[in-house]
Amino acid sequence: MAGKQAAKGSGQAQAGAKAVAQADTGVAVVALPADCRIAAQAALKAQLAGGLEHGAILLDGQQVERVDTAALQLLVLLRRELDERGGTLAWRGASDALNEAAGLLGLARILELPAARPA
Amino acid sequence: MVNAALAQFQQVFIEESLEGLDTMESSLLALDDGGDAELVHTIFRAAHSIKGGAATFGLPEMSSFTHEAESLLDEVRGGKRAIDGGIVELLLRTVDCLRGMFARARAGEPLNDATAEGLRGELAAMMGRGTAAGGLQARRPADQADAWTIRFRPHAGMLAGGNDPLRLIRELAGLGELAVTAELDRLPALDKLDPTECHLGWTIELAGPAKRADIAAVFDWVEGECELAIEPKHVVAATAPPAAAAPVADVAVARAQRETSAESGTVRVAIDKIDGLINLVGELVITQSMLDTFRDGVDASRLALLEQGLAQLARHTRELQESVMGIRMLPIASVFNRFPRMVRDIGQKLGKQVRLELVGEHTELDKTVLEKIGDPLVHLVRNAIDHGLELPAQRRAAGKGDIGTLRLEASHRGGNIVVEVSDDGAGLNREAIVAKAVQRGLIRSGESLGDEAVAELIFQPGFSTVAVTTDLSGRGVGMDVVRRNVADLGGSVTIRSTPGKGCVFTITLPLTLAIIDGLTAAVGGEHYIVPLVSIVESVQLKREAIKTVAGGGELFRFRGEYLPVIRLHELFGCPDAVRAIDEGLLIVVEGDGARVGLFVDGLIGQQQAVVKSLEANYRRVNGVSGATILADGSVALIVDVAGMVRMQSRRKVA
Amino acid sequence: MAKILAVDDSASMRGMVAFTLRGAGHEVTEAENGQLALDVARGGSFDLVLADVNMPVLDGIAMVRELRGMDSYKGVPILMLTTESHTDKKMEGKAAGATGWLVKPFDPEQLLATVKRVLG
Repeated sequence: MAGKQAAKGSGQAQAGAKAVAQADTGVAVVALPADCRIAAQAALKAQLAGGLEHGAILLDGQQVERVDTAALQLLVLLRRELDERGGTLAWRGASDALNEAAGLLGLARILELPAARPA
Repeated sequence: MVNAALAQFQQVFIEESLEGLDTMESSLLALDDGGDAELVHTIFRAAHSIKGGAATFGLPEMSSFTHEAESLLDEVRGGKRAIDGGIVELLLRTVDCLRGMFARARAGEPLNDATAEGLRGELAAMMGRGTAAGGLQARRPADQADAWTIRFRPHAGMLAGGNDPLRLIRELAGLGELAVTAELDRLPALDKLDPTECHLGWTIELAGPAKRADIAAVFDWVEGECELAIEPKHVVAATAPPAAAAPVADVAVARAQRETSAESGTVRVAIDKIDGLINLVGELVITQSMLDTFRDGVDASRLALLEQGLAQLARHTRELQESVMGIRMLPIASVFNRFPRMVRDIGQKLGKQVRLELVGEHTELDKTVLEKIGDPLVHLVRNAIDHGLELPAQRRAAGKGDIGTLRLEASHRGGNIVVEVSDDGAGLNREAIVAKAVQRGLIRSGESLGDEAVAELIFQPGFSTVAVTTDLSGRGVGMDVVRRNVADLGGSVTIRSTPGKGCVFTITLPLTLAIIDGLTAAVGGEHYIVPLVSIVESVQLKREAIKTVAGGGELFRFRGEYLPVIRLHELFGCPDAVRAIDEGLLIVVEGDGARVGLFVDGLIGQQQAVVKSLEANYRRVNGVSGATILADGSVALIVDVAGMVRMQSRRKVA
Repeated sequence: MAKILAVDDSASMRGMVAFTLRGAGHEVTEAENGQLALDVARGGSFDLVLADVNMPVLDGIAMVRELRGMDSYKGVPILMLTTESHTDKKMEGKAAGATGWLVKPFDPEQLLATVKRVLG
């Protein structure tokens, strides 16, 4: 899994969509909101665009309760963008909802989602 | 209804549908008079709502019936068919038929009858097909395979439209094992992405015996919003699909569970009326808390404040009373609305041209009065067209226009509601009435009568002046019944006729049945209330003015006629009452077209009485219409004058 | 559970829908025409909108078009309550931005099944 070094980073995971914390390593930490559906994507996109500048993004998907195709499509584009720029995408964790959605949409592999952590 | 608790909505549905039918009817009539296209939409909407709701609320017969009418309307609406008199006629009959079906639904009876079946056939014929258009032919057997390939590519706007491919694919997962491959070839760059658009596509392998129809059903809402291909991987022989244990039985269940409750006594109340009540109650609470400060005693310095508080209490109580009564008040429009149709039908039948004018439709009446005033009004209207208005030729000969005018006007006058039915016809035919009255033995030949007295004759039981009984008025109901019905509501009917110019029937009704103005009379230790509207006069008589007739009845002379005396103390069995005629008082009352004298000890005063039903609280008592509670907390009975007059005349016969 | 906006000029239909959905634990707001629904929708957020097609003042189709014009209602499922005879209305509703439809007549079970289907 890419970006494992950041998995235990000091950036605190927040449930809110506005959580962009910058870890010491130059990694932007973006927490996906609990309701991560179409209405939240414009804000998320702006956040991710800001994070791109750091070259590395650590996504925290542990709080996600509801997610839709719009969100996963955005994440796929992020992944592709980072690949093209030579950046990295890493996960601090992903909820069951996020995993299930990515699996159904055939996007789990490209997103390199970690399995949901057992409680 | 599947859920019995939902039966309540059936009642609401029936109520709103009946209103919808009224709208349909009035709009159809307006359309017939050359109304605009918006009317077609209004009519369509009403039919559509009934159709949509009927099956939902357990009335499927009605739904399929309305469907025919709706289809017809849809063609009119879409400009595929011009509206003409024939269609209006057919739709008007449909409205009638639906009303009947709703009435049967309320009574829990079977909805369809011969009329409904016939009409449905007519509607179908109008649409150019037979009744037997009973649904589409069964489709070709569903393709079945044990594995499918589904190629699915949404258009960009599908996400914003609320159809999430994730949901669709999740539904597919319910049909079998999925292997999903996302197609990313059309994805834009991140900064070009509108996150509300969808640029992904999928190829989905579905393993498991699924029917094409089941797969297609998943995508039913997104037809036209995506590219979709559903291909079987292995075709299996088309075996007969097992008969689906489908939920067909719902209808029977619905019928069985449907409440057969009759019309419930509900009133719709405008929100502003309720707000008014809430305000008043608020005022009362304030007054009460103000008065509460006097609990510990009143000193002289605060007397003025106390008086003010009591005055406020009195005012608010009165206002509250009026507002509460107002809740029972509904516009007379609901009664008036039936007339355009009726007048049109009767006019056509009789070859008379009638213009109907409705005035004061917003005048409000007590709900009970409203429900009971319909029949008398119908009779007066039929009567006016049948006997009052002339045929066009006769009108021309009389120098009037071909079209007769019939006017219904409601208004408030003092504490009463006045409803007038007037026409510009020929007026009462004095000679014909007198001749008929002589023939019937109501008056003697050669007796000279004033116009008023002649007009009064038509209110006599069994009176009719028309040689040929038409099927309109000839229902065995005469003006006497109209008068009795109105009298039962505490009202009166008068007639004013001008030869050659027309007739005016005036119905005067009390604003409400819940409160009456009455005169309180003492009889022994009891108090009785005599409604003010029925009192003619009260007189004190000398002993010798009373004549005793065979059988023990007493009569007295009043304005040239002998009236019977009803001693209330005898009728109601009151001890310690005044027995000598010259020591008590006779209240001359009129009811049911006759007068009697009620003998009481004396009068106490005039007051408003809130009527409490005796029937509801005790049982029905002859000669008593209700009870009221007096200021001291005791109960007084309200005299039923019309009932007493009837009792008296029965006694006379017996 | 979900916040649902039920729009129908028929009190019986609206009542049945609201009653059924509340019974299933949803929070239901009622509106009796499209215009009132828009007013309510602007002031709040909903997970699902159920709307009749034929309504006075503002019909369901026009209402959907307006709703979809608002950013906060992009992607929110909007179901039209319609009758099967009106394929053209379905298409018109779809073109305006409706998610899908529920064909009248429907019973409470069908309603709940459809709501479950869109809400997932």
